Amino acid sequence: MILEGKVPNVLIVDDDVDLLEGQKLFLEDHGFTVITAISMKEGIEALDHFKPDIIIADLMMEHYDSGFVFCKKVKDNPAMSMVPIIMQTAAPKEIGFTFDPSNPKQKQWIKVDEVLTKPVPLEHLLGKIHKYLGEV
Amino acid sequence: MDQQENLRVLAVDDEEGMREGIKRILKKKGYSVDTAEDGESAIDLLNTNGYHLAFIDLKMPGIDGFKVTEYINEKFSGRIVVVIVSALATVEAAVEVTRHGAFDFLVKPFTPTDLLQVTERAVKQCQLLQEREKYLSELNSERNLSRQLINAMQEGLIVLNIRAKPVLMNPKAEFFLEKRFTNAVELTDLFQDPKIIEATEQIIASSPEELKTRMFRIEQKGTMLQIRIDTLIRGKETGGAIIIINDVTEDWKAEQDKNRFVSMVAHELKSPIAAIINYINVIETGLFDNQPEKIHELLNRCKVRGEALLELIRDLLYINKREAGKVEKSIEALDLKEVLKEQLEFYKVQAESKKISVIFGAEDGPYMVKADRSDLDRIFMNLISNGIKYNREGGTLSVDLKREGGIVVVSVADSGIGMSQEDIGNLFQEFFRVRNRKTSGISGTGLGLATVKRVLSEYNGRIEVQSEPDSGSTFTVYFPSDDTKHLRQE
Repeated sequence: MILEGKVPNVLIVDDDVDLLEGQKLFLEDHGFTVITAISMKEGIEALDHFKPDIIIADLMMEHYDSGFVFCKKVKDNPAMSMVPIIMQTAAPKEIGFTFDPSNPKQKQWIKVDEVLTKPVPLEHLLGKIHKYLGEV
Repeated sequence: MDQQENLRVLAVDDEEGMREGIKRILKKKGYSVDTAEDGESAIDLLNTNGYHLAFIDLKMPGIDGFKVTEYINEKFSGRIVVVIVSALATVEAAVEVTRHGAFDFLVKPFTPTDLLQVTERAVKQCQLLQEREKYLSELNSERNLSRQLINAMQEGLIVLNIRAKPVLMNPKAEFFLEKRFTNAVELTDLFQDPKIIEATEQIIASSPEELKTRMFRIEQKGTMLQIRIDTLIRGKETGGAIIIINDVTEDWKAEQDKNRFVSMVAHELKSPIAAIINYINVIETGLFDNQPEKIHELLNRCKVRGEALLELIRDLLYINKREAGKVEKSIEALDLKEVLKEQLEFYKVQAESKKISVIFGAEDGPYMVKADRSDLDRIFMNLISNGIKYNREGGTLSVDLKREGGIVVVSVADSGIGMSQEDIGNLFQEFFRVRNRKTSGISGTGLGLATVKRVLSEYNGRIEVQSEPDSGSTFTVYFPSDDTKHLRQE
């Protein structure tokens, strides 16, 4: 997906208002239009009027697995199934929360394209966004 | 050696001279001897008394010597040594006699020396028999004991032979695996997990030197079974395998709870750090180099998050200390009315800064309770603080005290943001926080109400919540009053 001449839309869903704020400021400075949502519920509502080119979602929000539920809802919607989703989570890998999106079996129910561990350096996040938007 | 005295001899002969002769010679040597004149009376005596040794004439009218010998062997299976007395001194006759189960053969006529020599050999045989019997009975009772122990074990036990076929399964193993043991049971009937089958086969195929223990866990209808497979060594060879099954459900659940808690803690510790680093990252990009006030704003958020993190760490350490029973308490009779007054005074400035009017209602008093003062602070200061934090500008916070029987009832009601029924359901869980736009700027550890509930339960108290989104929440604490004090005061 090449987005020549278009301002890419980013939806960030995270229950940490400060994290949202920091990432929003940074991405807006890099030319993105950013909408933030503070819960899975808000994230889904945001999709009614906002068509993101990429979604960045947290895992543990209202519930420990809200992020998964949110991503599944997005990917199961034919209109949005192609929107790449980057999950960023502070859930420790050491204790069971290990997913490998490249594993087809896990991919079946963990509908995300990439999982990043918080804190995610902003430049790193930007690189990933560019990768998924096809802008090298 | 006096063992003769313990030996009882029966001499059976239809010739009186012969049986009396044997009796006389052996009595002199200290044996106790009975006599019988024919097969029938011999059998009667054998059934009445316990004999060790019998001299039996072969040729008797009625039941002959062979028949008596056979009877002895059948009835007393090897416990009585039989010596046949006969005039038929041929090799064939000797063979015939032993074939009928006799131990030795005494040829008529015989001298006292002949008799004593045969007796001596027979006595040795008697002793051997006695030892053997003692050994066998010990072995038998040991076998029974091991069997009983195996059956009484709290662990499931399965023994497999060298071909990995189950040869023993105790009742506990049957219970755990929900399979009855029969000779037709195969290993694959007991375990479905191919890894267990494979590991068992490997262990059986290995030599005793490469002793290996393999452990597995299988979950069955909510129970977690631990399967331990060991080599069974017979002599110096691997003779099969032993499988021991334990119910580790409780450990497993505790482990899961602990993992969940640790994982939540890690998440809660990492989140503020991620937010702080994120802000610093933004500042570093130079984005706001021309807007120092924006940088200050971000730095202030970093400070707030850092302070909240510190508070969380303090709370975690306190919970840990409390769980470990290391929190010292001094229980005293306290007037809850006075306690609440002091607590509200403490939050006065904070309430004023949000223009919240605090209403304290308590008719008469005192409201005596027996408690540790810092526990009361932990309970009510948490609730008062929440009532301010989750309130709206210009709202009200009412704290009311009343008595219901032997219970002091404290209600803390705010006119704040309130919460949904779903949120109420999760409210007292550790790390649960109502997360929405309205709460996003409010810092908290997610441990406050969980701790309130925990501390209250130590005093047999309880807490209830009523809430309506956008109109406020009321927390009601029921605390046992110090009755004796209360009665005296009235």
